[in-house]
This record gives sequence, C-alpha cells and structure tokens, in this order.
Amino acid sequence: MTTSTSTSSLDRIRAAALTCLLLLCGVLLPTWSASSHEASMAVITLREIAPGRYLGQWTMPPVDPTLQPIFPPHCRWEPPELVCGERGLIGRLSFMGLGSKQSVATIKVLPRDAAPQVYTVSAAKPIVMAARTPGTDLAVWLDLAETYVNLGIDHILRGIDHLLFVLGLIWLTSSGWMLVRTITAFTVGHSISLAAATFGWVGVPERPLNAAIALSIVFVGVEIVKLQRGEAGLTARYPWIVAFAFGLLHGLGFATALTALGIPQATLPIALLFFNVGVEIGQLAFVMVVLTLIWAHRQARAVLPRWGVALPAYAIGSVAAFWFLSRV
Amino acid sequence: MRTKARLLAGATVAAVLALPTAAHAHLVDTRLGDFYGGALHPLTELQQILPWIALAALAAFQGARRARWVIAAFPLALLAGGLAALAVPAPPYESLVGIGLVAATGLALAAAARVPLPVLVGLAAVMGLLHGFQNGQGLPASTDRLLFLAGATAIGYVVMTLATGAALAFLRGVGGWRPIALRASGSWVAAVGIMVLGLQFFAPTAS
Amino acid sequence: MPPVPSKSLPLAALLAAIPLAPALAHTGSGVAIGLQSGLLHPITGADHLVAMVAVGLWGAQLGAPAIWVLPITFPLVMAVGGLIGLAGVPLPFVEPVVALSGLALGLLIALHVRPPLWAAAVLVGVFAIFHGYAHGRELPGAADPTAYAVGFVVATGLLHLTGILIGVLVAWPAGARLVRVCGAAIGCVGLYFLLASVGVLS
Repeated sequence: MTTSTSTSSLDRIRAAALTCLLLLCGVLLPTWSASSHEASMAVITLREIAPGRYLGQWTMPPVDPTLQPIFPPHCRWEPPELVCGERGLIGRLSFMGLGSKQSVATIKVLPRDAAPQVYTVSAAKPIVMAARTPGTDLAVWLDLAETYVNLGIDHILRGIDHLLFVLGLIWLTSSGWMLVRTITAFTVGHSISLAAATFGWVGVPERPLNAAIALSIVFVGVEIVKLQRGEAGLTARYPWIVAFAFGLLHGLGFATALTALGIPQATLPIALLFFNVGVEIGQLAFVMVVLTLIWAHRQARAVLPRWGVALPAYAIGSVAAFWFLSRV
Repeated sequence: MRTKARLLAGATVAAVLALPTAAHAHLVDTRLGDFYGGALHPLTELQQILPWIALAALAAFQGARRARWVIAAFPLALLAGGLAALAVPAPPYESLVGIGLVAATGLALAAAARVPLPVLVGLAAVMGLLHGFQNGQGLPASTDRLLFLAGATAIGYVVMTLATGAALAFLRGVGGWRPIALRASGSWVAAVGIMVLGLQFFAPTAS
Repeated sequence: MPPVPSKSLPLAALLAAIPLAPALAHTGSGVAIGLQSGLLHPITGADHLVAMVAVGLWGAQLGAPAIWVLPITFPLVMAVGGLIGLAGVPLPFVEPVVALSGLALGLLIALHVRPPLWAAAVLVGVFAIFHGYAHGRELPGAADPTAYAVGFVVATGLLHLTGILIGVLVAWPAGARLVRVCGAAIGCVGLYFLLASVGVLS
C-alpha cells in the first residue's frame, strides 16, 4: 500500500498539513488541556417568597467574585432580596463580568404557583428575556436555540481532545465518501451517548472518562502508524465502526458540559437538541478547515520529506498519551 | 471533487475575510479564550492580513516549487517574532517597516515580479518576525501569552496556506485575465500601503 | 475638507500606530466604521461613481492593452494623488476636475474616440490623481485610516470592474451601441456636477 507512489505522496501532503496543526497542539498542551473540560458554571437561584418578591442565593458560586446578575429595570436587587412588584420577574436578564473564565451563568427562578424556569446566560448570548410562560413563546425558543447552539459550538471548539480525534479520523479515511460515513458514525455515536448521559440514563465519573477519551486518541495514533507500515488495522478497514464506538465515549464527555448547567426537565430535550446542533456545526467547520488545508497543501505541492511522514502520527499518539497519564 | 474543493476553499476564505468586519472581535476574544483571541487578532489588523494575502499571491506567481517554502517559513517566523516580543524591546521604526512591507509586497505583486527563492523566503521571514512581534507586544497580564501566540501562529499558517493554495489553483485556470486580476489586487494593497505610509510621514506635520 | 483639530491628528496617528491587545475590543468597530465610510465615499458621491464606472467602460471599449493596464495602474496613480492630498499640497479645482472627468470620459465613450494608449493613459492618470487627492484628504480624519483606505480602494476597483463588465457588451453590435448610450448618460451626469461645482447650478 505504501509502495504505490500516488498514495504515498497523498500521505505526505496530509502529513504536512497535520504536522503543522499538531505542532500548534504541542504548544497548547500544558495550558489548554487543563482548561478544556472545566465547566466554569455559576448558578443563582431565586425563590419567590411573596408575589413579586424573590430570595436569591448562589447555589453554585461563581469563580469570579465580581460576577453580578443584572435584572430588568423595574426590579430592585438588594442581595439577597429581589423585589419586582406586580409585574413579576419578566424582561431582560443578564450578567456583568462574563468572559472566558466565567463563560456561562444560570438564573433559576422558582415561582410559587408555576413550574421552575431556568435562564442560561453565556458570553455568546449575554442577554436573555424572561417570560411568564416559557416554551409557548417563539422568542423564548429562539433564545434557547441561540444560547445552546452557541454553547455547543464553544464546547467543541475549546475541546482540543475531541478535535484531535476528529483529525485522526480524517487521516485514516482514504476517500471522501468514507470520510462522510465515518464522521456521520461519530456524530450518531456521540449524539446517542450525549442524550443518554444528559437524561441521566448513564453516568460515568469525569476523571476516568477523560482518561478514556485520551486513550481513544492514542488508539487512533497507533492505527495511523500501522496504516503507514502497510498493515490495514481495524480503523482503516472499518473506520465507521471505530468512529461510532468512540463517538459513544466522546458524547459522554460533551454531556459533562451540559449536565453541569442543571437544566430543568422541561427544557432539557430542546436544550440537548440545540447543544448537539452546535457541536455538529463546530465539528463540521473544523472538518472543512482541515480538508481545505489539505487541498491547499496539494495545490502548493507542500509535502513533508519522506522521513517525516510518520511524525504526526507519533505526535498525536504522544500528546494523547501525555493527557492519559496526566488524567489518570 | 476539484470544483467542490474550490468552492470550499472560496467559502472558507470568504468566511475568514468576513470575520473582522463582523465587528464582534472582542466577543470571540472573551468567549473562546486566548487561543481564538490570538487567532482573531491578525484578522482584525488590516496592516497584517493585507500583506499576508499579497505575499501568498506573490509566492503563487513564482510557482508551487518556490511558493511552498513560504508556507513553512512564514508561520515559524511569526512564532519566533511573538516569542521575541516577550523578551526584547521593540525595534525602532517597527510600525513604519510594517507599513512599508504592505506597500512593497503589494507593488511586487502588482508588477508580478520574479523573485528569487532566498528573497521570497526572506520577505516571508521579515514579515513573520515583525507581525509576530507586534502580536506579542503589550498583551494584558490576564492573557495567556503562549496560547495567544499559538493562536496567532495558527491563523498565520492557515491563511498563508489557504491563500497560496487558492492563488496557485486560480493561476492554473484558463484565461489571461487571471494573472491580471491577481496583479490588480496587489495594486490595491500597494495603494493602501502607499497612502498609509504617507499618512505616517505627513499627518503629524500637516496641520 | 472639514477642519481637523490640530491636537487630534498626532493623537490619531499615535493610536493608529499601536496595535495593542487592549485596543482589540475597539479595533473591531473602528475597522468596520473605517471600511464602511471608505466603501461608501466613492459610491455616495455620484460624480466619483460615474467617473469610475466610465474608466472601466472606456478601458473595455478600447480593448486589449488598455483593459489590462488600467486595473493595475489606476490604484497606484490614485495613491500618488492621495499622497499629494495627505501632504497638504494645494491642488486647484478638485471638484470641477472630478466632475469634468465624468463629462470627458462619457463623451469619449459616446463618440467612440480611440486615442493612442499613452494619451489615454495620461488623461486617465490625471483624473486618477484628482480622485485620489479628494479621497486622500479625508484619510487623516478617518476612524481607522487603513480601513478607510482599503474601503475606498476596493470600492473604486469594484466600480471599474462594473464598468468593465458592462463593457463586455461591446462584443455585440447592439451592446456596443448600448455602451455608447451609457457613455452619453455618464457625460450628462458629469456635466451636471461640473455646472454645479462652478456655481452655475445650485
């Protein structure tokens, strides 16, 4: 397989593109891996004690102590009491001090005579509208969509281990059609387990999960080296099976970001749907960028020297092995 | 497959170019962390992104065998420049040299100059070092410098590779207007460079 | 030209020269505003607009060497005009000459005049300097001078392209007539602005 010249030059083109990406991953290793899975969440719960009067309390305190909720102008916020009068808590909700360190904050409202409501404010969606009857209003749905789609995009773009795994999958597939099937299998896999974990049907502790995700990337690295030596491993022959199986694993990882928000059961399915859509958008964008880079390398005939073809596979493998060790 | 790839490349480049005008640079900056902040920074600096594209097109005029060295040299220089900014003070006339580079690469592209390989790689290295230095300079203390510089280097590699590949593919197409179109874009970049350079010299004394 | 407070010029130059990260939050909007005003400047002024379309149209009508020389050299000559504007060199009759350029080019197209290449180049070059001068004087006051320069250079180039694309019609006899009608229309607009700029019309 490696003796055919066309295949080997294609390999070298891919290798060149991937090495460049990996060099960067190497630089990011120490800082990024530490932050990729932190869910910097803050939750404030407002319990209605009398009509229009709420008692507020941080049920999950913010990392950044300067973070403050901003309530509609007709409300008076004197911690821990919020007085909104007859109109109740409706209107614009926001937070002051949202950024990359504290990217998401949630306001939980527990009215006396209605179902609890949860409003998620993120740096990507800094203002949400509070309404009396959630789920019936189109604006509320759009709010939810914007919040969770963005959350999903952010999560995948900041999750370098997921991206690295996808990078490995792109590499292991030899044709465009196979790539489509493989990425679809990965998507189906992680959607299933994301849903299962979000609804609480399965639960895996975070540390072993992250270690297992790192191990999945090591596996892909090994498969690439095998492929280059001419032994078509399991992944090269049936990439979609491997992608599906590990997709289940990575979906559990995505779920940690979502479950940390403590979304109420009523909005959970729709939040999950939009979050998943966001993850797919981010993943698709990443795949597009990598494919375009490979295309550009081919146009410029920018290939690695023959001795360097195996470098990226070893780099993927060792980066992931390092993660595995640091997570165990 | 080829046309598909081209469309894809076009769409990506367009998306990349559209980003800075979207005017929510700071949102992405705070939202996705310092890596993406660093990646977005050069895209909002027209004095960086313009000569990058001109350099890529100039490299494409030299043919793939020479152009590919720019893809390797430029990001490395960008990273080296960024790291240097953390250690040494700014060189004199740094901003003038930067604007001069805009005019020079634009003019070279407009003329479709034949550039020997060492000069081409040297131009890429000087531009990379300078822009890397500018990226690494004066970052606020709360910024993770390494991540920021990695992001800037990544975008340098991505833009340079995509632009060079796209320009090479564009020039391979049929039609005498293709090199003219690329040279015209070089002339645009040069015009901007010349006027902003003029602003540096004349503006403080104009009043 | 609106008077620019003398203090703000060095300050603006200083700010423009500092590509620091704290400014990042502002460069986004500064770049956008600069680009927008630069793009709109040649388009909102009808005298500039028709003259630039006329340049492309005439190039297409003249054919082979002119249509290739034009898009590459025009921006550069315009930049020289911009430099003269920046340097504060007084150039007389800017607005009338800009209007005259529309009138002259429109007439040349309508009458299908084919001068030698050098004569056409000199004529268009003189107009390019005056157009660049008019834009260049606005440069120091722009929110982001680089973005403003990019905006008006791109807008000018796109207007040329529009002219060239309309000029593709000359391949057909009916299209060639239409191009000449366009030229006549441009000449009328140029005449209007010429009369307005010398105070005959108000």
